[in-house]
Amino acid sequence: MNEDRKRILGMLAEGKITADEADMLLDSIGADTDPAQPVPTPPPSADWPTGPSASGTPKFMYVKVDSVNNDKVDVKVPLALLRTGLKLTSLIPPQAMEQINTSMSDAGMSFDLNNIKPEDIEDIIQSLREMEVNVNAANGDTIRVFCA
Amino acid sequence: MSTYLPPLVIDVRVKEEGSRGFRIWLPIFLLWPLLFVLLALALIGTLVADLVLLLGGARYHHYTLLVLRSLGLLAAARGTHVRANNHGSRVNVDIY
Repeated sequence: MNEDRKRILGMLAEGKITADEADMLLDSIGADTDPAQPVPTPPPSADWPTGPSASGTPKFMYVKVDSVNNDKVDVKVPLALLRTGLKLTSLIPPQAMEQINTSMSDAGMSFDLNNIKPEDIEDIIQSLREMEVNVNAANGDTIRVFCA
Repeated sequence: MSTYLPPLVIDVRVKEEGSRGFRIWLPIFLLWPLLFVLLALALIGTLVADLVLLLGGARYHHYTLLVLRSLGLLAAARGTHVRANNHGSRVNVDIY
């Protein structure tokens, strides 16, 4: 038992504080946790933003999946990857681009990658700041996609 | 220049519940010399191809740029992080 916890219980025993006050004090020092158990460390993604940034150019796209079973997936993708990928599409040979567009059309995504001009890429990235996808499944699973 | 700098390290950490887990630290930078040799050879080939296409009047003659941008795409993957937790098991992948 640590010293703080002993002192609080001592004060309770002496009648200096009420049971409610003791409870509050124990909560404040985290005394409910079993000292034998290691303190759970926050996941490394704990410092990631929780929502889209209010201003500035977004740097990363975040995908956060939380399930009711306590499964959790966090993905952080640099938007430079998107920027470079879009720029690359303008350099794909025309024959290959035709094949890509046909395959995408067959898969239900009928848009022409040739329509994305390099000068529009920064606007696309900038407007991603306002994009936020929130999916709340009936079973309680949640998926969030945003850029910050 | 950092736009074309490929990833330095890929760090993979796997921890299963009740086990110590393991960590794989892949020093990709050790493969850079090989990559740069291959890149140099590819660039020589594409430069010649582009020159021939340009002189032949072809509309498309951007194979050199395509190779460079592909390298840029590889470089842009730096900063990707994946964290997955499943019933106490944990997988982290970081590309630096």
